[in-house]
Amino acid sequence: MNVGVAHSEVNPNTRVMSSRGMWLSYALGVGLLHVVLLSVPFVSVPVAWTLTNVIHNLGMYVFLHAVKGTPFETPDQGKARLLTHWEQLDYGVQFTSSRKFFTISPIILYFLASFYTKYDPTHFILNTTSLLTVLIPKLPQLHGVRIFGINKY
Amino acid sequence: IHHIVQNGGLYKKPFNEAFEETPMLVAVLTYVGYGVLTLFGYLRDFLRQWKIEKCQNATEREEQKDFVPLYQDFENFYNRNLYMRIRDSWNRPICSVPGAKVDVIERVSHDYNWTFTYTGRVIKDVINMGSYNYLGFAQNNGACQEAAAEVLSQYGAGVCSTRQEMGNLDKHEELEKLVARFLGVESAMTYGMGFATNSMNIPALVGKGCLILSDELNHASLVLGARLSGATIRIFKHNNMQSLEKLLKDAIVHGQPRTRRPWKKILILVEGIYSMEGSIVRLPEVIALKKKYKSYLYLDEAHSIGALGPTGRGVVEYFGLNPEDVDVLMGTFTKSFGAAGGYIGGKKELIDYLRTHSHSAVYATSLSPPVVQQIITSMKCIMGEDGTTLGKACVQQLAENTRYFRRRLKEMGFIIYGNEDSPVVPLMLYMPAKIGAFGREMLKRNIGVVVVGFPATPIIESRARFCLSAAHTKEILDTALKEISEVGDLLQLKYSRHRLVPLLDRPFDETTYEETED
Repeated sequence: MNVGVAHSEVNPNTRVMSSRGMWLSYALGVGLLHVVLLSVPFVSVPVAWTLTNVIHNLGMYVFLHAVKGTPFETPDQGKARLLTHWEQLDYGVQFTSSRKFFTISPIILYFLASFYTKYDPTHFILNTTSLLTVLIPKLPQLHGVRIFGINKY
Repeated sequence: IHHIVQNGGLYKKPFNEAFEETPMLVAVLTYVGYGVLTLFGYLRDFLRQWKIEKCQNATEREEQKDFVPLYQDFENFYNRNLYMRIRDSWNRPICSVPGAKVDVIERVSHDYNWTFTYTGRVIKDVINMGSYNYLGFAQNNGACQEAAAEVLSQYGAGVCSTRQEMGNLDKHEELEKLVARFLGVESAMTYGMGFATNSMNIPALVGKGCLILSDELNHASLVLGARLSGATIRIFKHNNMQSLEKLLKDAIVHGQPRTRRPWKKILILVEGIYSMEGSIVRLPEVIALKKKYKSYLYLDEAHSIGALGPTGRGVVEYFGLNPEDVDVLMGTFTKSFGAAGGYIGGKKELIDYLRTHSHSAVYATSLSPPVVQQIITSMKCIMGEDGTTLGKACVQQLAENTRYFRRRLKEMGFIIYGNEDSPVVPLMLYMPAKIGAFGREMLKRNIGVVVVGFPATPIIESRARFCLSAAHTKEILDTALKEISEVGDLLQLKYSRHRLVPLLDRPFDETTYEETED
C-alpha cells in the first residue's frame, strides 16, 4: 500500500480537499465544534462564537499552513516536502474551487461571530487577528513565502 | 437494465461497466475515521517524542541528533499510525502452492502488529481469492510441472547471461514463435520480468520530443517506463474517450510546448484490464482514435491475456478486433500462465529493433529454462495443441465463474466496480477500520483476500479485491459468497442502492490538475 501503486497520481494530498463529501464533512465538523462549545454551561453565546472562530482558525492554520510535506512517501522524490498542504492543493494552481471554499469559510465564520458578539471591541480584535492569520497565508502572492525564514525546512 | 453502447457499431456485444458513486454518508464517515486516526496519530507521536510511550520505530542515534536529519518523520506518519494497526492483513507467509486453496502460516502479534510471532500452526486450505491465478496453472503436479522438471534436468536452473550474449537458448526461440502464433502477430520477444518489460522497453520506443498519453490508472511499471523515457507525459481520465480525444487534438494542433514543432511520435498507453478497478479498456474506440489521429498504441495485457476472449487470446479477441491494429502488444506470463516474465509482440521490424535496443535484452538475464517450458506447456494447453480440451474448459470455467460471482455479489447489495466480464472484482469497503476488519474476518473464516486502502487508492475508495480463477469450483465460490455475505452483514458493507448509473457516470470535467514538468 504505497502511493503510485494503483494510479499515476503523484501526490494524493492534492486531491483530498476536493473529493466527494469533504466540504460537507468540514462544515459538519465546524458545526459540531460550535455545538460542543455552546453546551458548556458557563460559556455565553458571544464567547462561544469567538471561541469557535479562534479554534477553527487555529486548527486551519496548523493543518493547512504549518505542517509541511505529506504523511506518506510519494514517488516524486520529495517535491512537496517543503510545501504546506495549502501550497500542495491542486499542484499549486490558484483560484480552484476548493481553494475558494476554504478561503470563504473562515470569512463566513467571522461574519457570524461578529454578529453574535454584537461587535464588541475585545471580541472584534480577537476575531479579526485570528481571521488575518488564516487569510494572509492563502494569498497567491504568499505561495511558498516563508517570512523571516520561519518554518522553512 | 443493460446499457449498450453502439458507437457506430464498434462494439459487438454490450459493454457494461459501472462505478457506483460513494454514498455521501459513507464518505463523511470515512473522513471522520481518517480524522480520528490522524488526531490519535498526533497524540501517539507526542507521547513517543516525550518518552511517555516506548518508540518502536527506527530512530536516529543520540550522537547524530544535531546533524541534518536523515529522514523526515512526517513522511512515515501514515506508515506508523495507520498502516501498522492493520498490518497483519498483508505480507502473510504461505507454505503451499497458491492454487485455489493455500496454506497460511498463522501468526499473532502481542504488541499491536509491531512484531509478529508464529504460533507454530498452519491454517490449511484457505480459499485463495488473492492470487492472479486466472486459468488455474498454479499447480505443483500435472503436465506443466512434469515438462518443466524434465527441462530443468536437461538445461539447468539458470541461464546466467543476457539474450545478446550467451543466453539465447533454442527454448527461447521456440517460445517466441509460439507467443507470436498465440497472439496473431508477426513476431514476439520475451523478457525475464514483467515489470522490467514495461520499464525497459518504453524508453527504447519513445524518447525526448515524443508524447505519451497514459491512462490515469496505469500501473507503476508503465509510469516508470514513461518517466524513464524522457518523453512528455499527459494523462487522460480513466477509460474516458472524450478526454483522450481532446488531448490528441490539442497535441496535434499545438505541437510541442514552447517550440510548437510537431511531436515525433504520439504513444497511447493503456492496459487491457485495470487490476484495481476491474475495468476493461474501450479498445474499439481507442483503435478508432488511434487511426484517426495517426498515433501508436501500446496495450499492456498483463491481466487480460488468457483471461478474456472465447479462446483466451486477450482483450483484442474479446472485442473481435484485429491484433495488427495494436502496434505494441505487451503482456506478462505471471498471471494466466503460472510462470514469470513478460513479452512484447508486434511487427517484425519493431521486434528486431527491440532485440538490439531494449535494455532488458542487453543487460538483463533471459528467462530461466524451466519457466520457459512452463509457459510453452501452458500456452499449448490453452491453444488446445496438447491434444486435450483442458485449455478451452479452463477459459470457459473462468468466464462462468466471473459472471456468477459478480452477479451474486451485486444481488447481495455490495458495491462492485468494473466491467461485468473482468475476473478482477473490487468490492468497496470505504472506511479505514473496515479494511483491517474485513481482512481479519475473512481469514478467520478461512478465506484469504487482498485489501487496499489510501494512499494506494483515492481516499474514499478503499476496497477488497477478489481475483477469480478457473481452479475455483462452484462449491468453493458458494462457500466464499456465503462468508462474504456474513461478513458484509457484520460490517455493514452492503451499501449499494441498486441504481445502475449510466456509463458516462464519471463526468468529464476539466477541473483536475496535474503536475506539470517543464
